[in-house]
Amino acid sequence: MIIGGGLSGLAAGIRFARFGQKVLILEKHTKAGGLNSYYFRKGRLLETGLHAITNYAPPENKHAPLNRLLRQLKIPRRSLKFRQQQTSEILFLGKAALLFSNDFSLLLSQIDEYFPESTRNFKAMIAELDRYDPFLPRPKISAREFVSSFLQDKLLVEMLFCPIMYYGGNDEHDMDLSQFVILFRSIFQEGLFRPEGTIKDLLDLLQQQYKDFAGEIEFSSGVKEVIASDGKVIGVITNKGEEIRCDYLISTVGVPETKKLFATTDSAARFSKLDAKKLSGRLSFLESIYFFEKSACKDFPLDRTIIFYNLNKKFVYQRPDDAVDLNSGVICFPGNFQEDQHDETLQMRVTHLANYELWRQARDDDDKSLYPAMKTAWTERSKKVVGKIIGNYSENIVYEDTFTPVTIERYTSRTQGAVYGCPLKLKDGRTNFDNLYIAGTDQGYLGIIGSMLSGVTVVNQHILQRI
Amino acid sequence: MTIDEIREVILEIIRDIDDEADLDNLNSGEALRDQLDLDSMDFLDIVMELRKRYQIQIPEEDYPQLATLDSCVNYLMPRLKAA
Repeated sequence: MIIGGGLSGLAAGIRFARFGQKVLILEKHTKAGGLNSYYFRKGRLLETGLHAITNYAPPENKHAPLNRLLRQLKIPRRSLKFRQQQTSEILFLGKAALLFSNDFSLLLSQIDEYFPESTRNFKAMIAELDRYDPFLPRPKISAREFVSSFLQDKLLVEMLFCPIMYYGGNDEHDMDLSQFVILFRSIFQEGLFRPEGTIKDLLDLLQQQYKDFAGEIEFSSGVKEVIASDGKVIGVITNKGEEIRCDYLISTVGVPETKKLFATTDSAARFSKLDAKKLSGRLSFLESIYFFEKSACKDFPLDRTIIFYNLNKKFVYQRPDDAVDLNSGVICFPGNFQEDQHDETLQMRVTHLANYELWRQARDDDDKSLYPAMKTAWTERSKKVVGKIIGNYSENIVYEDTFTPVTIERYTSRTQGAVYGCPLKLKDGRTNFDNLYIAGTDQGYLGIIGSMLSGVTVVNQHILQRI
Repeated sequence: MTIDEIREVILEIIRDIDDEADLDNLNSGEALRDQLDLDSMDFLDIVMELRKRYQIQIPEEDYPQLATLDSCVNYLMPRLKAA
């Protein structure tokens, strides 16, 4: 049984079902996807989570994570159409800009051009990163210390960390070197792409594959309680009060979130001694999605896929003191990938760091107008800052929607809206319960490809060998 | 099953795992993994497919005996005789 029908749960489910095992996925919501899902507003499909998928690889590179994953799921690479990114940019306003694409030599030449004194050391760092196995269990190493030991130019260090933290930073300021290596490879050395269509098409494909192997999925079925006894999980009780037994249980809902499901304090303590509040990640985001008529977008940077901007010299990645930190952000154009889909509207998504606690207080306030007013005010401020970078766009918006850390928490079940999970990762997916495993974000793999590989790996390493 | 039938079963399983695998130029005495550019995850799928199709349990310590096409046949011969 699998808790959560997100990408890691679906991938794990496909692996089980493929070999004739009986498997059930319990999904709390009415649709699959978890952190990477979608919703409809006024007839438009809005994606959550997905900006671009990392880990692009050409079909002939059989060992690349993307191709290994597809083989494991038995999805022929040729049945999918991938659109690679155009060019993305790390823009430190008034200081420097670096372009990168799926051709790593572009970033190398950009560094050579704007940071010539760092070129030699940057290459030495790449050589070291290439030798590094991020999947070996080892104590935490500071990625910032590692990078700074090669690169003396502080601005360059900040610029490299900006996209990396935004794409997977679960902790404030710094990250574990293993996670840095995974992200550096998947963003810069492999690259960004999107499957043709939307996240819905990808989720439909995975669900179809799962069902073709006779896997079962129940929607609107949250888990209220995990029943455990003697170091073993026996089953779960759903929020409908139904008791379902299982031989093996994979939880994809996160470490602190799983801890909360144990009925007795003894079992919860056995799962993790750490307080659920301490386990929760502190980083969450405010995200706005804008739609424009294509004709009104002539001045837009149509050759840019993602712009990671920062207004100051130092890039600060932490829960902000204010509700939102506009000093940095991600501006993504999901239409600006190679091979135009000829959509009539152009989309833009803007993401900033946000403070969960302040948004929660506003939502819970007796004055019910406070939260929507705060959302509108911060969205307007965001528009002003982003307008300075790409040109003013407010009057051309035909539709917009914004979601906050509390929206993320509500729909993804991630405590505090922490999309990248808790800083403590269970690298091999095992827990103190003999037949309970953790997959997904809190196993330490990152992104859409990473979370699916996580589901696959947990099933391969721990369960297929035991059945 | 005959030796040839067992060979065909293995090749079919590999084709099923990787539809682009080059099986025509396979040297049956050399390691499958190197020739087909497969990794341990793909290798597990061969074991799992054999289990699903013929209910044979292959313990992990026996995996090295499945390294080449010839050694696969040798290993599976007594186990698939009745199949």
